[in-house]
Amino acid sequence: MEALYASFPEYARDLKLNLQNVLKQTELTEQQAWGTAVASAIASRNPSLTQAVVGEAAARLSPAALNAAKAAAAVMGMNNIYYRFQHLSGNEKYAQIPARLRMQVIRSHGSDPVDFELWCTAVSAINGCGVCVASHENVLRGKGMTEDTIVAAIRIASVVHAAAAVFDAESALVTA
Amino acid sequence: MLGVGQKFPAFSVLATISTDPKNAFTTITDQSYEGKWKVYFFWPKDFTFVCPTEIAAFGKVNADFADRDAQVLGGSTDSEFVHLAWRTHHADLKDLPFPMLADLKHELCNALGIIDPNAGVAQRATFIVDPQGVIRFVSVNDLSVGRNPQEVLRVLDALQTDELCPCNWQKGEATL
Repeated sequence: MEALYASFPEYARDLKLNLQNVLKQTELTEQQAWGTAVASAIASRNPSLTQAVVGEAAARLSPAALNAAKAAAAVMGMNNIYYRFQHLSGNEKYAQIPARLRMQVIRSHGSDPVDFELWCTAVSAINGCGVCVASHENVLRGKGMTEDTIVAAIRIASVVHAAAAVFDAESALVTA
Repeated sequence: MLGVGQKFPAFSVLATISTDPKNAFTTITDQSYEGKWKVYFFWPKDFTFVCPTEIAAFGKVNADFADRDAQVLGGSTDSEFVHLAWRTHHADLKDLPFPMLADLKHELCNALGIIDPNAGVAQRATFIVDPQGVIRFVSVNDLSVGRNPQEVLRVLDALQTDELCPCNWQKGEATL
């Protein structure tokens, strides 16, 4: 992560400092914070950021938790698009048609179900699915998670997503 | 005959899992392969004509079942030694990747209700059983008609595409 922090361009210094801080928020356990970072990095698609975050997370998370955080990004990458279409279309008929998509990992990820739900919420925020954000947030609060904790994860998602765009731009400019 | 929604019966049988006589046999029960889906399929008699074709066909798609967390289990009322002899002497069955159950005492087939009243051997029955041990699919062919494993895969896929994401839960539905 040190190399990643050092590679932030000057114009994105806010993002660098935010990233350093949001990963240390006291509202989140280490597993919640780093799982959110992993899921958010994958959802945000920048290779060097993903490499740095997953590399650091591997030292902080159990293999099962790391795998589950990746799985949250994977499955929500699909569900966010599918269910976002349902609600953006405004046609309620789509909700009555079976999705016919496998999403077994939501049950079989083998990590903490509440943390997994938190990672799904963060990915949904990045992918911009309103109905997914609303429903996963609702499940989290139903399981006793406070708004302070949930929004701490969303801070990570926001900063990771912004940082990914910056690194994409920087690598495009280097090769230009 | 047991049907969809019923519990797959408890059983314990010897099974043939290899052509090497030293470790060809093992005991398999309803508790084996915990957490997996199971695909049980029965045939009337070893060393008959239709059987090796469809057994080999199940063998060929075994990896597709494994991808779906499903364990394939073939079986008949022949003994484990007959299975071993058949496996050893039939080129298509040598490397069969799943166990052959030997329901010599007819206990499992009787409990399932698939003993053919005229022939006294297992009917060509197929069961998909979920990880909780509940039968989710049943089919029985006439003794002379082989099965298509692709159709069993299609059904398994359909059974596994439950919408597990809270994104599509309607009001009042239970949570995870």
